[in-house]
Amino acid sequence: MKSYINEFLGMEKPTDYYSGLLSDIEKLNKEHHFITTLNKDISYEKDGRLPFTVKANICVKGFETTAGSKMLRGYLPPFNATVVDKINASGRFSFLGETNMDEFGFGTFGLNTEVPARNAFDNDYVAGGSSSGAAVATAMLKYHVAIAESTGGSIATPAALNGVVGFTPTYGAVSRYGLIDYANSLDKIGVMARCAEDAKVAFDTIRGRDRYDTTCSVETIGNKKRKKLFVIKELMEKAEEPVKSAFERLLDRLGGNYEISEIDSKIMDKAIAPYYIIAMAEASTNLAKYDGYKYGFQNEDTNRKYNDFFTDARINFGAEAKRRIILGTFIRSESVKDKYYSKATQVRGMIIREMRSILEEGFIISPALPIATPKIENASKLTPTQNYAMDIFTVPPNLGGFPHITFPYEYHDGLPLGAQLVTGHANDYALFDFVSEWEELFEYRFRHNLGEI
Amino acid sequence: MNDLEFERLLKITRLRLDDLEKKAIQKDIEEVIGYFENISEISTEGEEKAHHPIKVDARLREDGILGFEDVEMLKRQSKLHDGYIVGPKL
Amino acid sequence: MKIGLEVHVALPTKSKLFCSCSMEDSDNPNSNICPICMGFPGSKPMLNEAAVRSALGISNALYCKINRKISFVRKVYFYPDLPKCYQITQMEESIGKEGYLELENKKVRIRRVQIEEDPAQIVRKGMLTLLDFNRSGTPLVEIVTEPDISTEEELREFIANLRSMLYYLGVDINKEMKADLNISVGETRVEIKNVTGIKSLIEATRFEVERQTEAIKNNEKIERETRGYNEKSRATESMREKETDEEYGYIYESDLSTFDISEMKHADPVYINKIAAELAGDSEVNPKTIREITMLNRSALAMIYRFRNRYRVRSIIHGIQRFEKYSDSTMKEEDSDRIEKLVKLIDEGKDISREIAEDIIAGKEVKVEYSDVSVEEIEKMVRKFLDENPGVLEEYKRNKKTVNLIIREISSKNNLHPKEVAAGAAAVLKSIAG
Repeated sequence: MKSYINEFLGMEKPTDYYSGLLSDIEKLNKEHHFITTLNKDISYEKDGRLPFTVKANICVKGFETTAGSKMLRGYLPPFNATVVDKINASGRFSFLGETNMDEFGFGTFGLNTEVPARNAFDNDYVAGGSSSGAAVATAMLKYHVAIAESTGGSIATPAALNGVVGFTPTYGAVSRYGLIDYANSLDKIGVMARCAEDAKVAFDTIRGRDRYDTTCSVETIGNKKRKKLFVIKELMEKAEEPVKSAFERLLDRLGGNYEISEIDSKIMDKAIAPYYIIAMAEASTNLAKYDGYKYGFQNEDTNRKYNDFFTDARINFGAEAKRRIILGTFIRSESVKDKYYSKATQVRGMIIREMRSILEEGFIISPALPIATPKIENASKLTPTQNYAMDIFTVPPNLGGFPHITFPYEYHDGLPLGAQLVTGHANDYALFDFVSEWEELFEYRFRHNLGEI
Repeated sequence: MNDLEFERLLKITRLRLDDLEKKAIQKDIEEVIGYFENISEISTEGEEKAHHPIKVDARLREDGILGFEDVEMLKRQSKLHDGYIVGPKL
Repeated sequence: MKIGLEVHVALPTKSKLFCSCSMEDSDNPNSNICPICMGFPGSKPMLNEAAVRSALGISNALYCKINRKISFVRKVYFYPDLPKCYQITQMEESIGKEGYLELENKKVRIRRVQIEEDPAQIVRKGMLTLLDFNRSGTPLVEIVTEPDISTEEELREFIANLRSMLYYLGVDINKEMKADLNISVGETRVEIKNVTGIKSLIEATRFEVERQTEAIKNNEKIERETRGYNEKSRATESMREKETDEEYGYIYESDLSTFDISEMKHADPVYINKIAAELAGDSEVNPKTIREITMLNRSALAMIYRFRNRYRVRSIIHGIQRFEKYSDSTMKEEDSDRIEKLVKLIDEGKDISREIAEDIIAGKEVKVEYSDVSVEEIEKMVRKFLDENPGVLEEYKRNKKTVNLIIREISSKNNLHPKEVAAGAAAVLKSIAG
């Protein structure tokens, strides 16, 4: 089985390995903006290990961690996220830097930040969001794993658009301690890599119960093989060309090994509204703490009365963050809470129940996105709900905390198309085996191989 | 959403928008709330609320003291005065 | 008149509610802090078991229905002392609900007992607002009553009983009690927020009741509003608009989960009023006296229980009372040996002078010896006493217990052992009254 991690660890590396890599990254970063913080102290003598990056919402002690927001500019976390401690403790990886993202994770295409990341294959195209930089970095660097994060599709979408493996674990399998919160009941730290085996190694390095995150309680991960692949009719109806035909070709290729059937779901296509309701309600509470004097952006004018002081500071949020704070606050209001927030949590329960019973029988497979990679200029014209509709395939497993993996399956006009495979809670390992099998039939393409030895 | 409700939300979220932003965001918000209305068609009678996607095996923390290793770095993030963190005027 | 309270009490724990920072007082501001109690991005709460256990004991003592499964909510509001700009507190799935606290003549219903975190402390220095996060994350319970209190006396009684109950559950009642009040003399409910200390609580109530009564008398409209209490001017005054539930926008705290506490053990309550009534019942002591001594003193209660089979309860009570009076302090566990010496003498009917009592309290060796008198002499004294007090014999014929009076009088006046006097008295009475 292909593993870049094993290949790298077994190789004789040039002593200036990292200095060459850093200068290559800096050059390409000027066009693709995938790295926001670079660890320039990384060195072969000191480290000599496989470089890893973290999404800019994962705290690394002493390194600027902004979650893509002006609100956190200059913030040097005084502690490591649990995943960072675990990676460091493994002795196999060296911290290379932090990767670009939509502000606080709010975006499907990576455009909701001051300087958006651009697609690794063609910088006129979107990188996908919100873990935009993580996906681009993975597609750029030959020997590297990315620690990313998904709330509603933030690993699957950019991984698909940059032709890498993107894995989102079962909710609660990886500690969120030190992850700058978007929506606490939805956020999942996951990984991106250039092959399934490396994603598995990275997942095993970061997973496990953590006393610092009460909700991180999934200890045992299973590997129940499935022979059936389900395609959800109501979701597939939303797919457009060329995705539709390409995906059918994928199913044809998988047909030899799997029993594929199209099934109905009357509820999975309703997942987007409850997802955004819960995500925004939670986000609007998480973003309350940014008020300009404790960390990150400092409002120097402490002579201002506190309400004006806070309002002056909070001007630094980007437009999408402001939208979500206002919307989230509205749907939490006591008078409409039952209608939106409480109801959404009930619909979530129904969706989980239905998906769980489907996933007992087999995997759910779909394209990662209903459209091919859009150009930046086109994606930036979409209205909010047009944007949200792009999450039709990625939201159901994210809302239900189901593990899912994205893998490239075809190249269209030189850009990758990605498919998404979902399995039941705590059956994460089955996903890596499926993609490893697929990798026997498929040749990955990359435009850059930085750090190639 | 009427202007009064929108202004109320801006006040309680401590957000200030310029006129252009206000117009755009207010319109977006109306669009999104309209979209959210869709869930009212789903019958949820008798359904439990799913606060988490999975059942969390939640554990309590034993009451013990463990100091934080880098208190100075916590404090260094803000403006200080005699060891206190300086906040805005009341 | 209706008065309701929301009382905040700090729970007795070593560490904070959601992090492992020490609860010990510190002279240095911002020394017991970490990313969690400062609400740093990415930090998450870890719920302290001891805080839950303590809150469970309190809910149980207040006869609350206990929620088997508890969860938390976020209450969002912006204020400089609130690190996350939301407070983690409880609502529907709070630890206790629908209980009561018993007063002499009524039950004050408890709506809810909830666990929540305390914000940071604000210190004002000139123009500066200074924040100390040592207090941030202190575990609190909020006890919310129905508006069942109707007089100042009842309010005092409620506070006294609550404090006693909390004291016996291990809560440090020397920490100042903080409360919000709601008071309606007429139809309109007025809230008074953030009243600190019992004295202020009583004074704020008194002021507000008078203010509202006066307004009603003068046909003035009472605003439905939130007021604060100014300790300097001893008056309540209108304060900034507080947020309402509409703005707080409570949602489930999903950084925590739902905790099943059905197997959790907790301390049993001590209800001093009941205990005092029981002890008074067979000891001819005023229950109020027992209450006063034991309300906030577990050593005194332990002493009564330990010695009640050896000495009369009233002797123990008198012993403790005299100890506390002469030493001008409340008794402690280590005083009980010396107090027992006092109690023993009192129980034997000795008349102890203040000097002797103070010597005993000071731990000096004090010998109180009885005079050596023959049986015949004692019988003579008894007869003489009966001759001088003819009513006593009549009384004795109606109530044989009067013999105790005779014994006490003669033994204490003559420094005799009560047992010897009892024998003499019995013989004399038998020969006179049969």
